[in-house]
Amino acid sequence: MKLSRVLYAQHIGFMFKKHWVIQGKRVPIDSGVEQYLKEKGINVEDALEFVKEKPELRERLDIVGPYERPLPLDQNHPNYKEKPCYTLSNTSVLLEGICQAQVLTKTVIAEDKLPPRIEELAALSAPKAIHDGVKKAILSANVFDCQQKKLPKKKDLERPAYNFPRILGISDRRRNEVLTNRLLQLVEKSSDTDVTCNKYILNDVDCTTLFDKEEELIQFQDISNILVTSNKPLKHEIDNEDIPFIGIPDLYPIKHTISLPAQHFYDESSKYPIRSNISVKYPHTTWLHYNPTEVNNLYEEPVTPIQVLGRSLTHAFTIASAFAKQLYGEETKDLPEPVYVNCIQTDGQRFHFGIFELNTLNVEGTEGPKNVWYCKNDLKLYDSSRYLSGIPVLENYNPQIYGYINAFYNC
Amino acid sequence: MLALRGQRILSKPKLLALRKYAQVALPEENEYTDTPVYPDIQDASLQARKLRERESVYANIRNLNTVEEKQIGLNMPRYYGWPCVQFKEDHIMYNAMPLVQYYTRTYFKTTDKLPEHYNQFSEIASSIVNEIKSLIEDCIVIENEGLKRNPLTDESKEGLQQKEDSLSKNIVRQINRIIINNIADKVPHILSSQVDYDPKHEAFWFMGGTDVPAKVVNWRKQFAWLKDRLHEPIDRPIQYTGSPILTIRNHLPLKPFIPYNEAENPEFKVEKFTYVPESVGYGVTFRHGTNIPGFWPGDLDEFGLLSYHKRGHILKRNEHFGTLDNLEALHCQAMKASFGWLLAQANYQGFTTYNDITYPLTTQTVITNGHLISFYAYQLNTITMNRDKIENNPKHNICFGTKPFLLYEKLENGKVMGLNEDVLKMLVQFYLNAPEEREHELKPYLGKEEQVIADIEDDNKRCWLESRYKHLMSNTPRHNLLPEVYHWEKIYKIQHKTRFFEAKRRPFELGINPFKRRLDDHLPSYIPKVLRPYPRSKKKFETTYYPKV
Repeated sequence: MKLSRVLYAQHIGFMFKKHWVIQGKRVPIDSGVEQYLKEKGINVEDALEFVKEKPELRERLDIVGPYERPLPLDQNHPNYKEKPCYTLSNTSVLLEGICQAQVLTKTVIAEDKLPPRIEELAALSAPKAIHDGVKKAILSANVFDCQQKKLPKKKDLERPAYNFPRILGISDRRRNEVLTNRLLQLVEKSSDTDVTCNKYILNDVDCTTLFDKEEELIQFQDISNILVTSNKPLKHEIDNEDIPFIGIPDLYPIKHTISLPAQHFYDESSKYPIRSNISVKYPHTTWLHYNPTEVNNLYEEPVTPIQVLGRSLTHAFTIASAFAKQLYGEETKDLPEPVYVNCIQTDGQRFHFGIFELNTLNVEGTEGPKNVWYCKNDLKLYDSSRYLSGIPVLENYNPQIYGYINAFYNC
Repeated sequence: MLALRGQRILSKPKLLALRKYAQVALPEENEYTDTPVYPDIQDASLQARKLRERESVYANIRNLNTVEEKQIGLNMPRYYGWPCVQFKEDHIMYNAMPLVQYYTRTYFKTTDKLPEHYNQFSEIASSIVNEIKSLIEDCIVIENEGLKRNPLTDESKEGLQQKEDSLSKNIVRQINRIIINNIADKVPHILSSQVDYDPKHEAFWFMGGTDVPAKVVNWRKQFAWLKDRLHEPIDRPIQYTGSPILTIRNHLPLKPFIPYNEAENPEFKVEKFTYVPESVGYGVTFRHGTNIPGFWPGDLDEFGLLSYHKRGHILKRNEHFGTLDNLEALHCQAMKASFGWLLAQANYQGFTTYNDITYPLTTQTVITNGHLISFYAYQLNTITMNRDKIENNPKHNICFGTKPFLLYEKLENGKVMGLNEDVLKMLVQFYLNAPEEREHELKPYLGKEEQVIADIEDDNKRCWLESRYKHLMSNTPRHNLLPEVYHWEKIYKIQHKTRFFEAKRRPFELGINPFKRRLDDHLPSYIPKVLRPYPRSKKKFETTYYPKV
């Protein structure tokens, strides 16, 4: 085909472009008036020069908006520090999971081992009405709650470009909130009034602990989704002699601060959410939600089960050490009495129970007194609970879990 | 709009030919009676025919078996949803009380104390108050001063509202926890009740008896046959949306405060408010009508006992509205919230805005910011307010409400000064009010075996209805935008006919109202050939199971 056919064709974009170019270079037509006036001896001034005013100097206004703007994050920020602080938040995980958590917190682990008193209490059977309540709570959280939020996109690995219709449903955050609050309500309703009077329950409180390890500053910022506190310190009696502890591992060649981003904006003190003049300040049990849509690795790899277990340990350490620092002062190293904190982590189906014994705030090296983490992991509350072709189902409810939750509350 | 495909169209000669072979049925022997029985003479006027048409729709919805089908049935006439008047829980206009009262058909009674029904719990409540007094004081101090939460520094109206709402949320959770833990072993209904945090409450109903909007009158003016019917009443769809802080619900309903026959007492008559809701400030949006009392159908605890609401929105109102109007706004919020929740519950019992409840339902509502607290007791007697029922419905709903009381005088040196025990007692009395088994049938309009779609045996129908119902209730926007008349069209095509030479293709040029489209007026989803049953299936489209109303 001849190229000229295409070039002859009318193209409106091309036409417009050309037209714009031509019109943009318009030359004023000389009407001869200027020449004529000059001959007559009349001075001609440029009209634009005549009209032009001198630019007025104005002061810069500080505009008051509807709210105070946050300060820019630069070196003048009041929280800016020269020394970087390696930060672990509640939405990030440690690369090496529980092993790295052990190194960071100088903790030995007693796997699958809880204090005998807890095991005793957990073995007590609850009445049927309570288990019916738990089943109701599970169904409420997974099926009957009315939240309709966009759930994560469904992907088919065989054909990754295929777009499935978006599913609306209960988000993992809401599911965990409903389930854990209901379970705790049930435990409290079935407990004696004397026990519940001495406890206090807080939702979504933040807790921060800051410590040195090998001349580096590390902070854990955590949110306790439910924090049960009591008016006297939690005590556990455990015979440590025959327990095969898992010692602190060597992470070489990995450094213990790996995957912790360094931050320059931080507070230099730890923060425990309850003031020291309150009587019910002693931490008792903390509930941690694992919301898969919110918790991520630094470089977006999927979170592994080991990393999830690591969250429990760092979370319990955060609560216990923040409290210990409030109680004994920031600079304390070895504690006169251990601080115990119970921790329950759940993703709505799996429950990880743990008890943290904080003996020392000195986390340097691997020698000397160590902290202890007793845990019982990966207990399933049920196999599945959802709409199965239009019918709400709850498969394989496991009554054992309620026993543990009850034991943790009442110990 | 969419022509029905596949329908055989017979030509006129063929029809005549068919008729030739029609046979006369043999007369039955008992066709004759001693006295002649004539069919009822029906009013043949247009109004009467239209009314019969509407009533058949009401009956069709009543005869549907399941809750969800009834809800889809309510939405069947409108593909793009109803133009709903937005009744939000925390958005109350100036001087809205007459409108809210009329739209919820509620007689409001201001009282200083709770209705007589609560006197029976007086003694036990006093003893409980004595036990929990110190705990409540502690929790108020802790929530106000004892915690290091992230401070909200925003001092604007929105910021203050946020701050107050979050504080009230925390205090309400604590107070609820303390009371429930104390009375769990004293009264049996608490253990079996469910406590919801931040549930979603939505309710939908039709309101007749309001003025016809000017827009509708203008529309009607263009048709000659509507000349005498310009002001014929219409139904206004109303949608309530709200989110309480905390609710408690049980599998049994509360007892009514006053006998059901008292509902017809002319003393409780509500003043008419016929001005269009836009004149008060209530706007309209297109959406499907939803009735959600905080859970999906199938949960057994379907009767509400108590709900707590926040009152931060009062801070956001204009200062010029004054204290009296702020007080009325609280009453309005209580009426809206109580009516909305009860209506949604009634819908789960099989009643709809077209089919009135056959027994009263009650609820208790508390509005608080952690310091001020007001109590409302609401009895729902009627839910039909559509244009056919509004004039001749003798029943009214009743709301007893108090003014906001101070829960305590002030906080000083980490101590609560002057805790108001009478107020606390009222709150405890709300908890002690036990639900009871009713002697009548609770779900007369639902099927015997099928009450929710989970009971349906046909797998395809159940799954289809389930997904359709949830999708409708989510009110997610459609893939295609709503039909509209563009501004240039309005100017150059409607107001000034400057483009008469163009082909007439747009709906307004063809005299079509695109919003008058039924929910099932669409092609069902296509079955790709590979997925059709083997060996050979002519069925191109999936079956739909829309209820027939």
